[in-house]
Amino acid sequence: MSIDPTLWPKLHGASTHFPVALAMAAALFEGLGALWPKSSPRKAQLHAAGYFTILLGALGTFPAVLSGLFMTKGRALGHDAELFHHLFVWPAFALLVGLGVWRALVGEKASPRGFAIYLTVLLITAGLMAGAGYWGGELILNS
Amino acid sequence: MNQSPERRAVAGGSSQNGNLQTRLSLEKRAFLWALFAASVSLGGALLMASPIQKIASWPFFTGGSSSGIVASPQLLAQGAGFFAQSCADCHGDDAHGDEGPDLHNLAISDGRIASQIKNGTKDEMPSFAKKYGDPQIAALVAYVRSLR
Repeated sequence: MSIDPTLWPKLHGASTHFPVALAMAAALFEGLGALWPKSSPRKAQLHAAGYFTILLGALGTFPAVLSGLFMTKGRALGHDAELFHHLFVWPAFALLVGLGVWRALVGEKASPRGFAIYLTVLLITAGLMAGAGYWGGELILNS
Repeated sequence: MNQSPERRAVAGGSSQNGNLQTRLSLEKRAFLWALFAASVSLGGALLMASPIQKIASWPFFTGGSSSGIVASPQLLAQGAGFFAQSCADCHGDDAHGDEGPDLHNLAISDGRIASQIKNGTKDEMPSFAKKYGDPQIAALVAYVRSLR
């Protein structure tokens, strides 16, 4: 008895788009929330959306990383497009988990300086996730 | 009492200094937890790579590689010869990829590898159906499957 060997690529494909999209959405919501006028109730709503998207994004990285490791049979770096994919994935993974934990613990009590640092790191993470997604796509298209 | 603009913005006045201290302390603690969680997650994932490498090569996870191909040394040598002749130009002499992808540890079935060799991919890889018959393709599949 054995499982379909294409299961891992399918699972990776199914799970990996959530953290990519959620990290980028969190950056968008939190960025817009920071720019929105303080008097508007929309500001709090945007931050709330950013809060939940970053939490879901951080949680979503685990199935994506696990299925990816099984798909590559434990290859953490690889060659060519896979190497580039992993060079973006690993820092993005660590940063997204860290950001999710920080945001979950601090909630609405962030100081302006703390939030500015959080937002900067979140934008970098969203960029890294986009890079990981790009090289993941290159891997699929060129293999 | 002199306060920086940032502190005034955060605390809204000197009467809330206690809240500010609590907030900064909360942020610092949250930062340490975030650092811990990120390190454990990243370290855990990278440490798991080696056990996963072993687990993923169990027949249960590879689909058994049960295409009926018996990978005898002769068959592998034959496959290696065909590989050097027709595949190494694009996939590299060591099959670690060049123009074409790395062929080590492919997570696809033997049938899919054979089909790829036979049919190729439009604009990316030529078809070898005319050059190689089924026995030769079986040798190539056995060789590619042996690349770990």
